[in-house]
Amino acid sequence: MTRRLRSFARRLVGVARHPTYYLPWIVRPGLECALVLSNVEARFKPSCGSGPFRASVVQYDAQGVAAHRYEVALQTSTDAVELPLKAAAGGCGFATVSGDRILSDLYVTLSDGRDYTATHGRGEFVETYPPLTRALLAAACGVASLAGRTIPLFARNQYVYLGPDSRSHVLLMNLSNVTNSIRAVLSTEGRAVGSRLLRLPPMGSHLLDVASLAPGPRPSAAAWRLRLEGNAWFNLYLVGAGPLDLAGPLSLMHVK
Amino acid sequence: MSSSLSALLSATFYESGYDHRVEIIHQRDAGALRRLVSLDVTLYDKDGALLATPTVDPRQEILDLGVLVRDATSTQERVMVVLDARYDEAIFPYRPHHYAYFHRRGSTAAPLYYAVNAVLGGVPDRVGATNINNFETYVFRQRPFAETYSLLLGCLARFVPVQAQVFAYYGARRISQDVVLAPKCHTEVQLPAEDGGERLARVEVKALFRLLSYVVGRRAGAGDVVLFDHLFTYAK
Repeated sequence: MTRRLRSFARRLVGVARHPTYYLPWIVRPGLECALVLSNVEARFKPSCGSGPFRASVVQYDAQGVAAHRYEVALQTSTDAVELPLKAAAGGCGFATVSGDRILSDLYVTLSDGRDYTATHGRGEFVETYPPLTRALLAAACGVASLAGRTIPLFARNQYVYLGPDSRSHVLLMNLSNVTNSIRAVLSTEGRAVGSRLLRLPPMGSHLLDVASLAPGPRPSAAAWRLRLEGNAWFNLYLVGAGPLDLAGPLSLMHVK
Repeated sequence: MSSSLSALLSATFYESGYDHRVEIIHQRDAGALRRLVSLDVTLYDKDGALLATPTVDPRQEILDLGVLVRDATSTQERVMVVLDARYDEAIFPYRPHHYAYFHRRGSTAAPLYYAVNAVLGGVPDRVGATNINNFETYVFRQRPFAETYSLLLGCLARFVPVQAQVFAYYGARRISQDVVLAPKCHTEVQLPAEDGGERLARVEVKALFRLLSYVVGRRAGAGDVVLFDHLFTYAK
């Protein structure tokens, strides 16, 4: 019922959903980010042909600017291409991948040169809002922001982990063409301990330092609740950091 | 157990020395209204022997596997942790998953977060996957890293052993290993990072029935897990 109502509301205000495959990226000093593109699942799909399979990659920076573009060709279905991503403004963001007949999930890897961590991208969508809806949303969010709030059209609940030698960060990605005011509230044992209102530009991203919402010593690792509310479609990846925090090796992980 | 409920059968591995926490409900709503109807947890050693059936309250949020295993067993070996849950579709609009966070205590590596492998089971018409899911693959990076690679495989079958083939690809050559796992047995299959001067490019698992399967990367020497991921099915 709720799903049908939301779908009706989207049609009413002219929101369009464009299927998009995307992967997060983080580039920092001493930390390389590389995509691994393959189409190995096409081996058992005769309709896909035998290649070459071409893919276009657009790397959006934290401000939502298409900072770099890459063209990749997989010669056969067993081919795998590693694509190191370049540094771009803000040091994080997401990259979209489009291409005919690419069936496989694609990987994003982070490496400090010694070892690497990996996760995969997501086949979802980017939402575009027409000008009038954008203007109305901007006005409503402006009013809500005076009270440190947003228009909570989308909400996510995510556990985050904070401890003495490991911690979670959250990479937030605005998957829309409107400015997304995202309110993050950290809580534990049913009690809110910190909140922040973030403004992500269209197609922009933000690496949220969760621990900064609740500073203090943490003698043992514990799970905290993070609630995120935004006025437009967004998604997140969990970022794992060890004892060196963002200066050390990192991991990325998708969530449903 | 009522057949009006849906089933989620998942499993993972616990190794001592790790802080390893499983979210009983991923994305629990703010009011904590989303809850499993039941959760049965069983622990097995590598030979399939039942170690314990600890009682877990499905209303709790996070399951600390270290505490669970230490309190229920005296083993220092790897343990297969099976999570057999029932849920109401009216409460969960989509099939829920368990997610987990783990990090070796004292390690300088990044902690990992992963989706616990759903191995299917329970009510057949709601298992959520109708395609073949016992034919899986995974791709590796090609530049040399100070890592070792392996597969962790477990058999959740009740009655019959499962035969599997593991193919590791190095350039144009492949190396195959046969694996037979009796019910509730588990094993770690080593995947050499290089063979004949070629890097490990990808791995495939072909099994008669669905196996619990994770790709594992460990730091050479120390053995800290730095890669822990599910494989991808060929048929979507």
